[in-house]
Amino acid sequence: MKIFSEHFQKEHLLSRIDARIKLIVVLSLLVMVLSYKGILFPLLIAAGCFILCLKMDIPTQILFLRMAQPLFFAMVIFLLKFFFTGQDVMFSVSLPSSHFSLLTLTGYRDGLIEGVRIVSRIISGVSLVLVLGFATPFIEFMAALSWLRIPKPFIEIMMFAYRYLFMFLEDATTIYSAQKNRLGYAGIRKGLNSFGVLTGSLVLRGFEQSQKTADAMIQRGYTGNMPMLRNQPFKAAELAIALIVVLIGGAVWMI
Amino acid sequence: MNISRTKIYLTMLFGYLLFANNAYAMHISEGILPFNWAALWFAVAIPFVAYGLWKLKILSRTDLSFKPLVGLMAAIVFIISCMPVPVPTAGTCSHPGGTAIPAILVGPAISILVTAVALLIQALFLAHGGLSTWGADIVSMGIMGAFTGFAVFKLLRKFNASLMISAFFAGLLSDWAIYITTSVELAAGIRGDAPFMPLFTKILIAFVPTQLPLGIVEGVMTAGMVKLLFKRRADLLVKFGVIKAEEAGI
Repeated sequence: MKIFSEHFQKEHLLSRIDARIKLIVVLSLLVMVLSYKGILFPLLIAAGCFILCLKMDIPTQILFLRMAQPLFFAMVIFLLKFFFTGQDVMFSVSLPSSHFSLLTLTGYRDGLIEGVRIVSRIISGVSLVLVLGFATPFIEFMAALSWLRIPKPFIEIMMFAYRYLFMFLEDATTIYSAQKNRLGYAGIRKGLNSFGVLTGSLVLRGFEQSQKTADAMIQRGYTGNMPMLRNQPFKAAELAIALIVVLIGGAVWMI
Repeated sequence: MNISRTKIYLTMLFGYLLFANNAYAMHISEGILPFNWAALWFAVAIPFVAYGLWKLKILSRTDLSFKPLVGLMAAIVFIISCMPVPVPTAGTCSHPGGTAIPAILVGPAISILVTAVALLIQALFLAHGGLSTWGADIVSMGIMGAFTGFAVFKLLRKFNASLMISAFFAGLLSDWAIYITTSVELAAGIRGDAPFMPLFTKILIAFVPTQLPLGIVEGVMTAGMVKLLFKRRADLLVKFGVIKAEEAGI
């Protein structure tokens, strides 16, 4: 199922860079974006990330799909800030008309500025994470997390989850199609019942599969710990590029 | 600004919100929270995740299949919390939290871990949630969702409520607890100099059309899941201490 970012990875410069370096750069830029007080820096970062995504041949449709949820949130927050928080009144509109008013909406200048600032932060933050997701294979990301001293059991659980996600997604799709073909979603009551059965079936499958997986792993010498991808030493050139990117980001952030 | 033009823009904006195909209200997106609030929610979440890891270490010591089971639960929570469920009153789709299910089956501590894993994968590879908001999302979905679901289920069972009723209310209240916590996090994070309560109320109201019915959907889904497990694998419910052996007829 081509829904995950790593399915769109192709051979390019970013995919060859050490995952640890990409993670550190993204986290550093993310901290700068979150603590920035204006909109210029986040928008520059977002523009850079979109250019990188296009250079990586990520389909535009996928980019918009990824942005849909954050944009929905951004829109809600923008409206809340614009119409409900602030002191400096920009305009006031009576709806549906000034003669017969059911609702008076007041737009605030400071709310608008704050709203735009949050929206720029959202777009920028999401773009950074998108680039990271599109340019880093899952297994390398796990190795990078291990290097960052994230507890090993946490990474193991993540690896198990990722391994079986696709299997469960296929199962869920098959069950859903079968239910739909048998009018399992014709009506709210039937639909809710079918959804409960679908969830229960997945949980049952999870229990059964976990036992089978454990048995298979024990037969192959599993003692409770999974081996991790070994990290290679850092390359000086990659470190230098990362440092330059963070320094440039820091310089723009300070302006 | 010209008033009539303003009205057109407003109509367009509200139209986008009303007719958006998907309403994702559980995960706080990347970048919404400023740095200080993001850091605070991380600080709140870390001890709970550490507690979950400690519990995992103890339980997996004697049962080698426990870690794969927790991983598979995380995969299931991931899928459930990505499933678009139609919300009739809002005319949109939303998605359930899915945390009540692991909370009932494996307890709240492991459930927090399961949610944290599912949230991180969603943030990294689907841009659903975020890295900086991971802490806040763990607090709302993992901690509040799991503890509420677990507490409600146990409490109702103590008062001899049926398995289905207990599971329904666990799912329902767990979903609403996530929704309220998310609203608190959002209001605190974006309020700036504005007072907290009015903004919190507005955020609560903004998501009422999706979240109230979605809670009922989640309740029915949790009850359906428990019903199916009871019918087909009651031994599993006994194994995880959800029901007693005599209740399962074993």
